[in-house]
Amino acid sequence: MNRFELLKLLQKTIQEELVICNIGLPSQELYQINDQPNYFYMLGSMGLSSSIGLGLALSINKNVISIDGDGSVLMNMNTLATIGNRAPSNYTLLIIDNASYGSTGDQKTFTGERTSLKDVAKGSGCQNVIQCSGEETSENLQKALSDKNNSYVIISKIKSGNVPVKPIPLNPVTIRDRFRKKIGLVSYL
Amino acid sequence: MKISQKIISKLKDGGVDFFLSVPCKLLANMITILEADKEVFYSAIPREEEGMGICAGAYLGNKLPCIMMQNTGIGNSVNSIVSLLQLYQMPIVFLISYRGTPGEPVGAQGAMASVTEEILNTLRIPILHCNKESDIHKIETQSKHAKVIEGPVAILCNFDLMKDDQ
Repeated sequence: MNRFELLKLLQKTIQEELVICNIGLPSQELYQINDQPNYFYMLGSMGLSSSIGLGLALSINKNVISIDGDGSVLMNMNTLATIGNRAPSNYTLLIIDNASYGSTGDQKTFTGERTSLKDVAKGSGCQNVIQCSGEETSENLQKALSDKNNSYVIISKIKSGNVPVKPIPLNPVTIRDRFRKKIGLVSYL
Repeated sequence: MKISQKIISKLKDGGVDFFLSVPCKLLANMITILEADKEVFYSAIPREEEGMGICAGAYLGNKLPCIMMQNTGIGNSVNSIVSLLQLYQMPIVFLISYRGTPGEPVGAQGAMASVTEEILNTLRIPILHCNKESDIHKIETQSKHAKVIEGPVAILCNFDLMKDDQ
């Protein structure tokens, strides 16, 4: 299973949820599969999907899912310590770990060698860390979303590989405003 | 403590209701005040760049966030400021302890101080200088200004202002 197939499989679970999606191909694939106003597509700031989702989850009472990648988490690993110590129960970090920098040509990351994000997350203080296959991801994500007492980090181990997609045609402020409208904060759209 | 108390109170008057910090000796009193404050969210974080992300998320959730940091933190955060906060037009307040300004005992801090304002100017971030106690009341308007312009604003608290705030 590659990222595109996984994102497709997750649709029924995340369709109504607030999702912060990682920059590059993850966002472009998600956009192509099923564009939704409750999906916040990152157009810059690689590494910060986990952090943006955390800030949102700390500010509202709805479930928030950060979809991140192994390369991006490696770039901002300190935020796992913030998540381990501060994440509220409405927060789920889903790391799609294909051991490659997909958006830049599938160069290998360290998670294909000695680095285990599961161990890093646990060592950082995250208490509910699940590592699973792509096929098991939906079920684990549903479990995380329905647990009202705990936050989760899910690491979905899949194969590398991408499908042809185009850049997201939406203006950043449009992405911002329709997302905030979904939360109930924008009335003029 | 009086100066720190006033700064936090003006930030809150300006609408700030979500605070992060990457600690600095000059921010220590503000951190102590915020740790005891039950009205607003506060947390220390390991790195400024992730703070920009957390603040972006807090803004999406209707907060007016403030990140407190040394001026060195601006250097750690340039891409996230431009390609997240400014790209999506997100109001965030940067409360910056301006290390390396006159009175600073650590010579090496002068290096980052010498480029701090040029970086902020290059990023077109409005700057409020707080050099003396009578400047502090302007923090309220500067914080509100972030919402008006839908982007980050900076407050630079220089060494002299903060050093005697025991």
